[in-house]
Amino acid sequence: MVWWGKLVSTSSSPTWASKPPNIPKRCSKPTSSPTHCRWTHHRAFSPKGNGSSGSVDQAVSTFMFEKSLYDLIRGLRNHKGNEKEYIQNSLKECRAEIKGQDMDLKATALLKLIYLEMFGHDMSWASFHVLEVMSSAKYLQKRVGYLGAVQSFRPDTEVLMLATNLLKKDLTSTSANTMSLPIITLPHIITPSLALSVLSDLLPRLTHSHPTIRKKTIVTLYRLALVYPETLRPAWPKIKERLMDEGEDPSVTSAIVNVVCELGWRRPHDFLPLAPRLFELLVDSGNNWMAIKLIKLFATLTPLEPRLVKKLLPPLTTIIRTTPAMSLLYECINGIIQGGILGSSDESAGGEEIATLCVSKLRGMIMVEGDPNLKYVALLAFNKIVVTHPFLVAQQEDVIMDCIDSPDISIRLRALDLVVGMVSNDNLMSIVGRLMRQLRNSRSPTSEEVNKRVSTGMVEPAADSDDEDPEIAIKNDKGVSQETLLPDEYKVDVINRILEMCSGNNYGNLVDFDWYIDILIQLVRNSPVSRSSLSQDVDSRRGDSSSTDVSGKVGNELRNVAVKVKAIRLQAARAAESILMSTFNDNSASLNPANGALRPIAWMVGEYATSLESPDAALTALLHISKGSVPAEGLALPKVFSLLTSEDSAAWTPERKTMISLLMARIIHTLEPLAMHPDLEVQERAVEFAELLKLAAEASAGQAASTNEIQQDSPLLLTQAIPSLFTGVELNSVAVGAQKNVPIPIGLDLDQPINLNLNNLLRAVESASFDEPDQDEFETYYHQAPPPVPSVNEPAINRLGTPEEVVHSYQQGSEESYLDPDIVARRRAERLERNKDDPFYIAPTESSGRSTPLHNILQSNNGPDLDLDAIPIMQLDLEKTKLSTSPPKKPKVSKVRHRIQVAADETLGTSGTSTPQNDDSEASLEGASQRPKPKGKHSLLQVDSSHIGTFSLEGDGSSNGRDDFEAQQREEAEMAKAMKEVERLRLEMQRANERIQAAQGVSLEGTVVKKKTKKKPKTVDADGTVPVVKKKKAKKAVMDEGEGESSMTAEVVKPKKKKKKPKVEEEHGVQEGS
Amino acid sequence: MINAVLVFNNSGQPRLTKFYTQLETSVQQRLISEIFILVNARSPGSCNFLPLPPLLTPTTAPSSSNDVPSLVTYRHYATLFFIIISTSTESPLALIDLIQVYVEALDRLFENVCELDLIFNFETLHAVLAEMVVGGVVIETGLEKVVEGVRAQGKVAKRPVNEGMGGRGAMGSMGGNFGWAGR
Repeated sequence: MVWWGKLVSTSSSPTWASKPPNIPKRCSKPTSSPTHCRWTHHRAFSPKGNGSSGSVDQAVSTFMFEKSLYDLIRGLRNHKGNEKEYIQNSLKECRAEIKGQDMDLKATALLKLIYLEMFGHDMSWASFHVLEVMSSAKYLQKRVGYLGAVQSFRPDTEVLMLATNLLKKDLTSTSANTMSLPIITLPHIITPSLALSVLSDLLPRLTHSHPTIRKKTIVTLYRLALVYPETLRPAWPKIKERLMDEGEDPSVTSAIVNVVCELGWRRPHDFLPLAPRLFELLVDSGNNWMAIKLIKLFATLTPLEPRLVKKLLPPLTTIIRTTPAMSLLYECINGIIQGGILGSSDESAGGEEIATLCVSKLRGMIMVEGDPNLKYVALLAFNKIVVTHPFLVAQQEDVIMDCIDSPDISIRLRALDLVVGMVSNDNLMSIVGRLMRQLRNSRSPTSEEVNKRVSTGMVEPAADSDDEDPEIAIKNDKGVSQETLLPDEYKVDVINRILEMCSGNNYGNLVDFDWYIDILIQLVRNSPVSRSSLSQDVDSRRGDSSSTDVSGKVGNELRNVAVKVKAIRLQAARAAESILMSTFNDNSASLNPANGALRPIAWMVGEYATSLESPDAALTALLHISKGSVPAEGLALPKVFSLLTSEDSAAWTPERKTMISLLMARIIHTLEPLAMHPDLEVQERAVEFAELLKLAAEASAGQAASTNEIQQDSPLLLTQAIPSLFTGVELNSVAVGAQKNVPIPIGLDLDQPINLNLNNLLRAVESASFDEPDQDEFETYYHQAPPPVPSVNEPAINRLGTPEEVVHSYQQGSEESYLDPDIVARRRAERLERNKDDPFYIAPTESSGRSTPLHNILQSNNGPDLDLDAIPIMQLDLEKTKLSTSPPKKPKVSKVRHRIQVAADETLGTSGTSTPQNDDSEASLEGASQRPKPKGKHSLLQVDSSHIGTFSLEGDGSSNGRDDFEAQQREEAEMAKAMKEVERLRLEMQRANERIQAAQGVSLEGTVVKKKTKKKPKTVDADGTVPVVKKKKAKKAVMDEGEGESSMTAEVVKPKKKKKKPKVEEEHGVQEGS
Repeated sequence: MINAVLVFNNSGQPRLTKFYTQLETSVQQRLISEIFILVNARSPGSCNFLPLPPLLTPTTAPSSSNDVPSLVTYRHYATLFFIIISTSTESPLALIDLIQVYVEALDRLFENVCELDLIFNFETLHAVLAEMVVGGVVIETGLEKVVEGVRAQGKVAKRPVNEGMGGRGAMGSMGGNFGWAGR
């Protein structure tokens, strides 16, 4: 207790430092030779060493031929290589031993089984024997039995029923040791029925003379309450009593605080009355662990009781200023953040002071060299602040950005979280640039490495490979691959965040779309290949491939940009084309990372075919791809084709005729197999287009080619009809919810089956083999990829040496460091092109570099001795100055040039509320993946405490919960009474009103008829009794007043509506009545 | 609360597995190997917190629930990794200290604890843990009390030592180097 404080305060370095400071040197180097010696000595120990339990000793001495746990472990170590066999034999022996009569032998066998269970050897079959050992009279055997229960009992273990009496008996044992066995075991095996039966025996343990028993009991009661909330009814008052008792053992108090902290976040209200005592504990106790828990608890209480803030601030500030324990300091800051104390503005001066104190301390934590733990937790804390105080965090951008490149992935991930929260249009490019550099400079673990790691991770039989050799191997392995290896999950995460940051707020943070498109191209290249089996599995479950495949996401993003931003459409289409071409040229198509992106990209190529650089090449690529992996892309084919044919100006020469008919043949050939595609949509389109093209083929065959004498026109079908199919209204992006707003036409019955025989048809399709046509000669001739030609849009400068090579070392922050060379070159060429008329722009041509004529002359004249390059002043030549300054300048230029408009998603309907997601395209991407998952599925390891959330601890006395229920019933009854009263008053007022109006003598219309309608709604009233009364009253009203009353039309009409909404009616009633 | 406490060595051999919820043996093993892969990839200067292993990564949107295990803290001592999986209600830095207390308690009980002690006396390993954590809730952080509590249950076995090997002297001197210097 005291020690906790002492340890932290006296040791020179904080105890939680990352490298265990107190481990002697010998230990921190496991492979050093002394260790070796020591292990060797140990291997030769005698089998009759001191047993860890008496039973083992006895077993050894009594049955010389039976194995003790020691023997088992030694045997394992001696059977390197064939552990599996050894273990199987041992398990067989254990099976036999545990079934015997001898309790010592049983216990020993059980201990061995527990040991083997640790390595994954199931021992659920032995659960009955576990019970037997649990019931042993000897403590050490009992302990083995209970350990077996803890380690091996599962929710479906049936013998648990039989254990109840044993547990109850042991709970009332006279020995504290025996008693604590069931207490510490219960949390692992508890069920509601078991909780019910042991509760009565457990409760008295709260007042046991031994503090150890008391604190264990408290925790066990908490675990009981999690499955059986009724536990708290009798238990809570007693626990509270313990907590309030100042004479209680401090470690018991600490245990109670731990439990209260666990309960606290579920039901903070119930613990507000305890605040004074908890505060006292916070101030007085020297126990850091408890103080941390208390601060965490207070952080959940302060939002409910703002007055606590004032009380808490002084001690918290004191702790922050004085405590030598970093963990406590951190939790103070964390508590202040989570408790919303930062935001409390009433004592503005103090609040400001504390906020700056916290933030500066956190900043200090990040800056501390050599303690990554502090970095990590400080980032965690910043992540919480950024939600409420983004400006405070933004001030720390510099230190946070450093963490993004931390070699430690845990820290990186936290920093990444944070960065997404604080992105703005000022820092977007630099942040994304950093992330892109990470992606580019890393490599994914090769499959070999992954396999190797998995195999080392697999814990095969319990071989004790605590030899030095495997350790060395692992260490070396680690060292080699440490630098550049990033796991794919991390990469995917980074890519998702980049997309999220850039596209967020409908591209609000994005300034330079050219840059963004280049980033997207780079992302397609860098995105990790999704493991097909895994993604397929997920796909089939979610039915949404884009949610899992990250390159698909990038592709979608590119398409979004093309659709939404007109100004950049040309570049986007070109980018799509270039990706398409590179996929096509790269023959290892199955492993190409761009695969997922192909679908949106093919769509873009088709839709914006007019922007393509070389439609011919694109068409070839599309043809190639369509017959392979992604047949859905075949639908872009006709679009590109129509573009090719629609050129009116081209004469219908024999060459053209042949070319076109060949093209058509190829397209038809590709489309025809798609007519059998399982996707109905693809099927339909494929059939449509194939037939259309067949028609066109006939037409073109019928049209004689123009000769020198006679000028022939191209067939109209090709030049006019087909292209006109694809030119029409422009496609815009549609908001996610818009579809729902489309009114259903009156005549449309969606439930009516279109074809009664549909199921059979579909089955027939499925059974029909959708096999790919053989690679005939025709195929290979036309579809084989031609040798990659340098694409036209690749600028010449790319082939002219590599001037940017020099630049690399200078420009830490420039694009060159994260974009591929060809992209960089293209960007440069574009820049050159854009600025060629700008007299102030100094072009980075070769002539302005160091190879000036002067330079050459000097060099040739002075000979090789004089190396002008060595003169430092040459480093400052114009080229470099230009290059290093231009990239940051660029965004502004392009901003002015384009005046980019980002189209908002289209939607239907008048109210914006119907499509809440329409302004955020990211939501549409993310939302799809998140929505289908139902909530409430429990995470692994999770202890569900939701039951307890509905359980009240309020008030004292034992009948808490019942009170609660009764109170609720009373409340309901009162409510009903009140409603009756209100209704009565309303009727009275109404009658009075009627009387007045009757006296005035108005009305001519048939009010009596209307009165009838008025009666009806009354019966709808919720309470069974009220309507009867009211009906009578209403009738009376009619009788009394006769036809006199009138002009109640307003009153009368309303009830008509009410008929439909009985709930609303009551409110109406109340409003009218009052 | 604490969801699990694991101890395994540098090659992933478990030395202690304690799950505070009931879990299939095969799932336990998978979790252990996933964490081992993560922990084994850490470089020496890294922080003591691991990203969540795939098995524990929430499939749904990050829920605010405090029930979900969200923190994996580890410490590396010589040949052993000590791991605590916990929810967000625990303090990360304090958990690192908690592991330290656990190891120190073991050291007191075994006198110059080494992996071999833990292999042969894994029952004691469980006993020490039970004095510190019950049902996922920490009940004791004081070293003395933990040690006291374990000793009260009976004599703690020393590691199996072959007295006849004559290695006593060498070990004695080694023991001098050992033993939590700097404390």
